[in-house]
Amino acid sequence: MQILLVGLNHKTAPLELRERLCLSWGRDTDPLVAIMNLPPVKEAIYLSTCNRIEVMAVLHSGQEEVAGLKELLLAHGNLCPSEMERCIYVHRDLAAVGHLFRVASSLDSMIMGETQILGQVKEAYRRASQSNATGLVLNKLLHHAFRVAKRVRTETGIAQNAVSVSYAAVTLAKKIFGYLKDKRILLVGAGEMSELAARQLVKYGADKIIIANRTFGRALELAEEFHGEAIDWKMLPQALAEVDIVITSTGAADYILSADTVAQAVRERRNRLLLLIDIAVPRDIDPAAGEMENVFLYNIDNLQDIVDDNVKRREKEAQKAELIIKEELDRYLCWRDSLEVVPTINLLRAKFEGTMNGELQRYSHWLKSIGEENQKQAEILLLSVINKLLHDPVTTLKEESGNNGAAPYILALRRLFRLEGR
Amino acid sequence: MDMIFFKIALVLALFSAICYLISILIKRVLAAKLGTWILLLVLFFLTISFGFRCVTTGASNLLTQHGVLAFFAWAISAGYLTLQLKTNTRVLGVLVAPVVSVVLMGAAIGVGAAVPMPGPLQGSLVPLHVILTLTGEALLVIASIAGVMYLIQNEAIKKKRITSLTRLLPSLSDLDRINHISLLAGFPLLTLGILFGLVWASSVLSGNWQLDPKFIWAAVVWLLYGALIYQRLFLGWKGHRPAFFSLAAFCLLLVSYIAVEYLMPSIHRFI
Repeated sequence: MQILLVGLNHKTAPLELRERLCLSWGRDTDPLVAIMNLPPVKEAIYLSTCNRIEVMAVLHSGQEEVAGLKELLLAHGNLCPSEMERCIYVHRDLAAVGHLFRVASSLDSMIMGETQILGQVKEAYRRASQSNATGLVLNKLLHHAFRVAKRVRTETGIAQNAVSVSYAAVTLAKKIFGYLKDKRILLVGAGEMSELAARQLVKYGADKIIIANRTFGRALELAEEFHGEAIDWKMLPQALAEVDIVITSTGAADYILSADTVAQAVRERRNRLLLLIDIAVPRDIDPAAGEMENVFLYNIDNLQDIVDDNVKRREKEAQKAELIIKEELDRYLCWRDSLEVVPTINLLRAKFEGTMNGELQRYSHWLKSIGEENQKQAEILLLSVINKLLHDPVTTLKEESGNNGAAPYILALRRLFRLEGR
Repeated sequence: MDMIFFKIALVLALFSAICYLISILIKRVLAAKLGTWILLLVLFFLTISFGFRCVTTGASNLLTQHGVLAFFAWAISAGYLTLQLKTNTRVLGVLVAPVVSVVLMGAAIGVGAAVPMPGPLQGSLVPLHVILTLTGEALLVIASIAGVMYLIQNEAIKKKRITSLTRLLPSLSDLDRINHISLLAGFPLLTLGILFGLVWASSVLSGNWQLDPKFIWAAVVWLLYGALIYQRLFLGWKGHRPAFFSLAAFCLLLVSYIAVEYLMPSIHRFI
């Protein structure tokens, strides 16, 4: 059984190429069908995300290579052969399985530990099994990969701790307020990052968004988008007293919230905790505001520091994840061995002979009474019965193994006779 | 019989403290969860031990060093576990469990034979006084413990040192809420307890008992916590300042308690 993994990812291929490949296939034909049409391919799965395109194929036995697979994969890339070689990696057998495990566990992702990839792998598997491209090996392998991914996620901290600025803002808010339900957000100015942060906070339960912008029209637009409330720019100090989290990102050259304004607001809010997130450069909030009791001021650099720190943390956790993958590869090896014909036949024979010896033992009293010569005869008789019984199944197994069809019989034998290898 | 259960409780309290400590060290909540369950067992065994003791010795149990401290530990555990149901503050136990352990060790030192209730102390006023003040003080201890953790967490977030410890510790709001609730519940109980004591003292004692160091000490503590409640309820103090104040009040309380208990003559003593 030969497993082959051919692919390219964000580390080996530039974005322009990935997007070209990603888009072209959808319009054309189903890549899975094209791959399955290649003669040596027995089972295949095709995974395509914005960061990677990979094909995992199980080949018919005796086959080692798949001519045309790389070409097929890069058919729309317009690359010369040398460029193609640079982009594409090929893994075989254990390395291929290891790669699959690492991809599913998000160790190979651009943002390590992101959880989207597992969903994408599951989707690719669903498509493959719907078009009958998966069989015994890939079914087993993919389910194994899903288990590995789950183990990695629960046993290591790889998916913990925010690695985006907007999510870092959410975790920070949670450490201050406990939960975000019924918390109100004031969004001052508009910018991609601040909107993203606001969106995340709403996603995690924040109650209401109040939006202030120098141009009231823009504030109204955003308010509609967030189902929030737009307020007049002059109302900013009053709004400050009512909300719990403030996100600023205006293009103003000066501070738009002075320390005095914040101090006034703190008095009015009777010391309720206030989180100020200043994403603007140059800054919108006087840093002195952060010195006040019960006021927490974070600027873009502070949040980025948290993110950088968390990325390092995830890298550390990735080492633990590699150990888990190693362990699971061993398990996979065990399973793969169980698919081989010879060990199964040996186990089966051992089981029969074991049963025979057991019975001989049980009747040893009687055997002694019939004399040594007869005893030997009886043993020979039993052995020849076993050999006769085993002859047909063993020959059939060997024949099927020549035709690549032994696996289901092996599994059936192992299950029916409860054979445990290794 | 009561002593066996008491010893089990003491050992379990130490185990609970160790579990919490491990959870802080390995930064996993799971160990803290185990600690919480063990603390619940401590509460259970203390209750049984206390029940046995009350049956055998009666109310005088509440006047010995052992009885008082064991009840104090019981009240702290019960108060914390109840508050923990309301808030997400599991890790707060890392400070609570050691305090409970230390108090129980103090109780273990004070173990003595059962003493009959002295004449003037008989009646229901004295036990009521003891139970109410101890429960009140236990809650105030929890308030200070929450205050300590608030200060640690506040410092980390303010200084922008978001470490894995910060991630493990409860949120500021939850800690502030614990501080608030336990102050609000503890202070009236303490007040009531002191009032019962006053009624008893004025009816039984003669002479200048108002100048007894322990009485003066109680008045100071009461005023201090009264001031804190006033600031919280009427001046709208929240967060950092009440946390700091309740810690300071507790430290003062502890120091003066030790001074009064062991250095000054007083009529208010364990029997």
